[in-house]
Amino acid sequence: MSDQISTCLEDAFQLPNAAATADTRDAASSHKSGHAPALPRLDRARNQLKATSKQIEGAVVSVCDSFQTILERVRGTTDRTKSLLAGEECGSSGKQSFEELVDICSNTLTSVLAAIEEANAVSVRTVERIRGMEDASQKISAALAKMEQIAQENRLLAMNARIESAHAGKLGAGFAVVAVEVASQSDKTMTLTSEVNDLVGSLRSLANSTKQDMERMHEKDQQRLVSSRKEVDESLGMLRATHEEMKEALADITDESALLATDIGKAVRSLQFQDRVNQQIDHVISDVNAVHALLSGNGKDFDVIDAGGHNLTMHEEREVAGIADRESPEGEIELF
Amino acid sequence: MRKVLIVDDSVSMRQMVSFTLREGGFEVIEAEHGEDALKKIEGVSIDLIITDLNMPVMDGITLIQNIRRLPAMKTKPILMLTTEGLATKKEQGKAAGATGWIVKPFDPEKLLSTVAKVLP
Repeated sequence: MSDQISTCLEDAFQLPNAAATADTRDAASSHKSGHAPALPRLDRARNQLKATSKQIEGAVVSVCDSFQTILERVRGTTDRTKSLLAGEECGSSGKQSFEELVDICSNTLTSVLAAIEEANAVSVRTVERIRGMEDASQKISAALAKMEQIAQENRLLAMNARIESAHAGKLGAGFAVVAVEVASQSDKTMTLTSEVNDLVGSLRSLANSTKQDMERMHEKDQQRLVSSRKEVDESLGMLRATHEEMKEALADITDESALLATDIGKAVRSLQFQDRVNQQIDHVISDVNAVHALLSGNGKDFDVIDAGGHNLTMHEEREVAGIADRESPEGEIELF
Repeated sequence: MRKVLIVDDSVSMRQMVSFTLREGGFEVIEAEHGEDALKKIEGVSIDLIITDLNMPVMDGITLIQNIRRLPAMKTKPILMLTTEGLATKKEQGKAAGATGWIVKPFDPEKLLSTVAKVLP
């Protein structure tokens, strides 16, 4: 396209110069009809320039829209993650932050372990009490043995009393009755003693089996408690470490999003080429229009085509035209 | 939120300046040329105007002259943002009442720091 434009413009500008005489101007006007074929090409060139300018503008607008979307997405994601970790959003929604959840887990697990420990302590105390009960039952057995012995001795005594009462004849009859009753009481005492002994034996046996069960359970619970505590500590440690890693990653993302904003800023500066290109194209179109008017015989002299560059609005244009009087002022800022 | 009016006949330039200012926390109103700008500031409290120089219908210098006639806009900062860097043009802008002159292409960070300097 640029070759076509160059050819058009070269054809269009093959005209008398500003210092031409009336004769040469007359000669030139007689050539006007000869330049008529150039007019459609000038029209085409002008339209191509306008279309190109529009396309470039559309592309730049689209790129800027994308930058906007990218930044908004990155910032939105970063802000949401940050507030979830720090719990900033949580007050209104009633939800806890990640950190609070970790603390709640830790407290809950610590309470559970404490409850298990207390249960263990209770079972230890129970075992102790059962041992106490065993000791008491042994003492009861010992007391019963003494009672049995006393009953035995009473029985013997009763036997002796009966023998003596028999020796005493009629005078010993009443004594014999007492002796028989004493023997009977001794027998009853021995029977009761035996029953109580049996009961105590059963009780002791129950206590012993209960004690053994409690001791086994306590041992298992103790082992489980130790391993659970170790697992809980490890898990909480990993959870906290993961949380710290998440916070570090978030800090990195935040830094990256700031760098991204800076990079987009640089891209925005570069994309402003479109505005300058647009202006340059407008000025070229302006010159093409002037040539078109001249060629189509609309009464404008070649001089009117601004050779002095007064329609130029940028340093780059003045440099190309050879009339730049200073270095490029691009990006200059002056406060009055 | 502070309000900035951006005046430029280039859609892409308005978009880029708006994008930069919104990132800086400003609310932005856009106008295509001087006449459009004068309509858009009616009844609206503007804190800053950033305008191009060469625009159809009404150029930037004429716009500034008209704005400075408005009682509410006598002291508001107005920055010229233009490709033009000639000293004579800058003098015209200053005489019309411009607060500052920025030659395109602008650097977003520098634009924001300049805006921060001119806003009270």
